[in-house]
Amino acid sequence: MTTSDAFRLLVPVADSVSVRNTVAHVVDMATNAAEDRPVELHVVDVASTRAVDPDAIEELAAASDLLARVEAWVAEDAGGEPPANLKLVTDVIGAARYLFSPGDYADVLLEYADEQGIDRIVLDPEYNPGGAAPMLRPLTIELALADYEIEIEEAPVARRAQRTVLVRAASLPKYLAVFGASYLFYMLLSSWKPIDFGTGLLTATLVTVLLAPVAFSEQPSFARIGKQTVRMLVYTPYLLKEIAVANLQIAYVVLHPALPIDPEVVELQAAVWGDAAVTTLANSITLTPGTLTVSVTDRAFTIHSLTAGARADLFDGGLERAVRFVFYGRESMAIATPRERGDDGGNSDG
Amino acid sequence: MTPVEWAIVALAALGAFFSGVAAIGIIRLPDVYTRAHAASKSDTLGAVLTIAAAALALETGLSTAKAVFLLVFMFLTNPTAAHAVARAAKDQGIEPWTTENDQ
Repeated sequence: MTTSDAFRLLVPVADSVSVRNTVAHVVDMATNAAEDRPVELHVVDVASTRAVDPDAIEELAAASDLLARVEAWVAEDAGGEPPANLKLVTDVIGAARYLFSPGDYADVLLEYADEQGIDRIVLDPEYNPGGAAPMLRPLTIELALADYEIEIEEAPVARRAQRTVLVRAASLPKYLAVFGASYLFYMLLSSWKPIDFGTGLLTATLVTVLLAPVAFSEQPSFARIGKQTVRMLVYTPYLLKEIAVANLQIAYVVLHPALPIDPEVVELQAAVWGDAAVTTLANSITLTPGTLTVSVTDRAFTIHSLTAGARADLFDGGLERAVRFVFYGRESMAIATPRERGDDGGNSDG
Repeated sequence: MTPVEWAIVALAALGAFFSGVAAIGIIRLPDVYTRAHAASKSDTLGAVLTIAAAALALETGLSTAKAVFLLVFMFLTNPTAAHAVARAAKDQGIEPWTTENDQ
């Protein structure tokens, strides 16, 4: 430590959408603090690879490029003439080892903070080093857990979008749904000896405790699940019939001496929403007449079709309508077919 | 033979037939996408019919329930696998075969 009375700020940066605003915020904060005492503003880029690695050259170049931009921004925000007692320090840290999780990044930042006598760490809200995987504790928590007397603050700048969070507060219906489903599944696979009830109880409890927080993307409603299950039971025979027809057609095509196929890739904007519904439709399309789902992005399906007849069936939208019925009820069946909507990507000639 | 036994034989025979169709399809069809059609549809039905025959033959309630689970998982995983193969092929930039390739 050089001058013990200086106020030292640490800002880890990466190329994020809000990094510019974060820099503006810390410069504002530093300029205000500089009226009373010297301020050191440490802007660092935490390198994820080691400096000796082959891909490090690119990452380190990007890092120094970003830091150069930060220096320009700081000069710009300070009105071209930074206060005399505001000192800017930029550095790339952590290049001595591999960093994987937010915890590793927190360690490197805290080490640096300890060496430099940092008083406050300001985080860019979009700064997510080591990934924002739902199972990992985010950097903010990792830093807060550390046993240092450092203030941690998230820069109050606008986020572009809130990420969807996988881990949500677990509620009673969630626990009940996961517990019921796993107990039932265990018992159906067991031999119904008295001990199976005990081991099943134990297993279901473990599964519930571990997985209930990540089990649903929204709060389960037993009424909705019940309705969907009943409608799924109505859908199954229809799907089985379609599958049977599909297989007879494939068998005919495959065993026909002339192999009468006319494959073509088509696009379909399906009128279904939500992960479960899209997945059901994608799998149903794959199982039924001459159509195979190649890729799905949101609602846009890329489908490989084996014959012209298969394409015509696809755009008649029977399956799509049936899947809508399962997930949203009878009213939604009134939505027009892909061909009527014009969502068939101009492939309706088949 | 009882009607149930006839049903078992019929299901097993149909299952074998469709599995055979899947195998022939994989050999005869021209490219990865069309082959995935044969693998996903005919193979699923072939396996499902065979398992259904086993479910009938097993008689006891719990074994049948397990066979039904197998059916459900075949229906879920087979199309998913076919989709994965097709998507991997697309990501690799493999162009689908069309009738023009035949000339």
